[in-house]
Amino acid sequence: MINLRNVRKFYGALEVIKGVDITVEDGEFAVFVGPSGCGKSTLLRMIAGLEGIDEGDLVLNGQRINDVPPDKRGIAMVFQSYALYPHMTVAENIGFSLSLKKVPEAEIKKQVEGVAEILQLTDYLSRKPGALSGGQRQRVAIGRAIIKKPSLILFDEPLSNLDSALRVQMRAELQRLHRELKATVVYVTHDQVEAMTMADRIVVLNKGVVAQQGAPMELYHQPENEFVATFIGSPKMNVLPMTATRRDAGKVHLESPLGLAIDLSDANGSVPQGEAKLGIRPEHLKLAPQGQGDFSAEVVIVERLGVETYLTVGSQQQPIVVRTEGDMTIRPGDRVSLTAERAACHLFDSTGRVLRSAQI
Amino acid sequence: MTAISPSEGANKTRSDLLAYATLTIISIFCAVPFFWVLLASFDGNAQLFLRWPEQWTLANYVRVFTKEDGAKWLFNSLFVVGGATLIVMVLAGLGGYALSRTRAWWKLPFLYAILLIRVLPPTALVVPLYKFLLTLNNAEGAILRPIFGSYARDIMRWTGFIDGYLGIMLVLATMQLPLALWIMKTFFDGLPRDYEEAAVMDGATMMQRIRRVLIPLAMPGLAAAGLFAFMSAWGDFLLPLIFLSSPELQTLPLGLFRAFLRINEIDYGLLTALAFIYLLPAVVAFGFARRFLVQTFSGGVKG
Repeated sequence: MINLRNVRKFYGALEVIKGVDITVEDGEFAVFVGPSGCGKSTLLRMIAGLEGIDEGDLVLNGQRINDVPPDKRGIAMVFQSYALYPHMTVAENIGFSLSLKKVPEAEIKKQVEGVAEILQLTDYLSRKPGALSGGQRQRVAIGRAIIKKPSLILFDEPLSNLDSALRVQMRAELQRLHRELKATVVYVTHDQVEAMTMADRIVVLNKGVVAQQGAPMELYHQPENEFVATFIGSPKMNVLPMTATRRDAGKVHLESPLGLAIDLSDANGSVPQGEAKLGIRPEHLKLAPQGQGDFSAEVVIVERLGVETYLTVGSQQQPIVVRTEGDMTIRPGDRVSLTAERAACHLFDSTGRVLRSAQI
Repeated sequence: MTAISPSEGANKTRSDLLAYATLTIISIFCAVPFFWVLLASFDGNAQLFLRWPEQWTLANYVRVFTKEDGAKWLFNSLFVVGGATLIVMVLAGLGGYALSRTRAWWKLPFLYAILLIRVLPPTALVVPLYKFLLTLNNAEGAILRPIFGSYARDIMRWTGFIDGYLGIMLVLATMQLPLALWIMKTFFDGLPRDYEEAAVMDGATMMQRIRRVLIPLAMPGLAAAGLFAFMSAWGDFLLPLIFLSSPELQTLPLGLFRAFLRINEIDYGLLTALAFIYLLPAVVAFGFARRFLVQTFSGGVKG
C-alpha cells in the first residue's frame, strides 16, 4: 500500500504539487490522469525518488520513504521512452539491475529466462533493442521492471509511443500482466480512455491538486466538479450556463439562453438561486418527436460511427453533442427536438463545484 | 511537365556533359599533387615533375627509416597527437556532459567564449603562450633540478612545458577542445535523461552509470570528437615548430619541413616518401571518422 500525505513540491517559488493526498491499496491498478502540466509525471517521479519531496510524507507499506534512495525503495519504473540501453542485448537489459548487484551469472540467466517467459520474449533475448518492434521494446522495459520483484511498478505514459492499434493491444496485455503478477501499479497518462479501461482507481489531477479520486464509474457518474465531469468521458459532457430559480419546494427551475427550460428535483435545497451550470452527457440527450422535447436546435455536424452517431447541435459558441443509436439519416442544417434525461443531469456552481449529482 | 522534347533532352545532356567535364578538371587539379606524391615516393629517381617511375623501388622509404630518424619522428607525432586526442576525449566527454545537463546562467556565454579560442589565429597567441609555458617550464625545472640533478633534463623531456611531450600535448589539446566540447554537448543534448534515470532506479552508482551506461552510449560522439581532434592536431605544424626544439622530439611535419630546407640537396624521393607517411594516418582516421560522423550528426542514439 502506498500513501501520499499532503505532499508538496516547489520549483523555486512555483508550487507544482499543492498538497496531494492519495492512497493506493495493494494489488491495485491506479491511474494518475490529467492534462499536460497537471503535475502527474512530477508526482510519479517523486514516488520513484527521481524528484525530491519538499513537504508531506510518502509512505510505502507503512514505512516513510521520503529520503530513501530510488533503488532502495523497492519500486520499479517503466519510462515513456523505455530507456532500453541500445548497446546491450535484451537479456542484458532485463538483467542489468541484478548484474549491478553482483548476482552470479547463472542466477541472472535463470531469472531473466523466467521473466522472458512471462513476457513472451524468450526468442528475442540475444537481440539488441534496435532490432525489436515497439510492442516488444515495451515488454523488455516491463521485464526490466518486474525482475526486481518490486512492491510497486510505476508507468510513465508507456503507450504514448505506440500506434493506436498496438495501444489497444498493449492495454489488454498490461491488464493481463497486472492480474498475473498481482503487482501494485501506478500508471500515468493524459489519455482518459486508458485510465477508464485499465484502472481500479483513477486519480484525476489538475494544476497540482487532486480533482477527484475513485473507481472509474464513480468518477463517470458522480464527478465532484466540472473539471472531472468534462475530463472523464468521450465525447465530453456538455456544460450549459443556466439561471436557477426556485418555484416549488424540492424543485429547482433552470433556464438557458438557448431556450432550454427544465425542472430538476432538489430535495434538500442545495442549489442556490442565480447562475449555475447544467452538465449532461451526450448519451443522456434524446431525440424527441418534432415540436416536443425540452428544446430544439439546428444540427451543425454529423459524425457517423456505424453503431452510433454523434450530432453536434446549437451554435458555434455553445455546441452541444448528442449521442444517438445507429446510423441516423439526419443531416447538417436539420432542426431536431431534444429531451434531457432529468435523472442524469448534474449541476455545478459558477466555480465548478458540484451542486447536484446525477441520480443513476 | 514530364515530357521532354528531343531538343530539350539534347540540351540537358550537353549541360550535364559540361558539368561533369568541369568537375573532372577540378578533381584532377585537386588529386594531382597526391598522385605525384604517391608516384614519386616509389620512384628511384624522383623529379619535380609528374611522371611514371622508370623503376619502382622502396628505397625512399628505407632511407626515411635508416638514413633519417623517420621512425622517431613518426613515433613522436603519433605519441604527441594521440596523447592530445586522449586528453581531448576525456575532457570533452566529461565537460560536454556537464554543459549539456547544467542549467547554469553562464552556459551559453561560456560555450560561445570557448568557440572564440577556435576562431582566434593560433599565430597571434604564440608569444603570450610561449611566455606562459616558459614560466611554467622554468618553475618545473627549478623544482626538479635539485632533486634529480643531471637526470632532470631527461625527465623534462617528458613532462616539460617547453620542448617536452607534455607541453605540446596540452597546447594541441587546448586548440582542439572547444570544438570537441561543442560536439559532445550537442551529442548529450540528444541523449534522453531517461537512460541515466533508469540506471539510477536499477541501483547504479555514479561510476557504474558512467562506465556501463554513459560511455557506451557516448561512444559515437566521443569517436567523432576524438577523430576530429586527431585529424586537426595531426595537421598542425606551427605549434610543434615553436614549442619543440630538440631533434629527438621532432615530429613528422617538422622532419619533413627541415628536410625540405636543406640547402645542398632537394631529395624529392625522400620528401615524398615522408609526405606519404605523414598523409597516411590522417586518411586512415578519416576512414574511421566517416561512420561516426554520420551517426553523430544525424541525430544521437537510436534505441
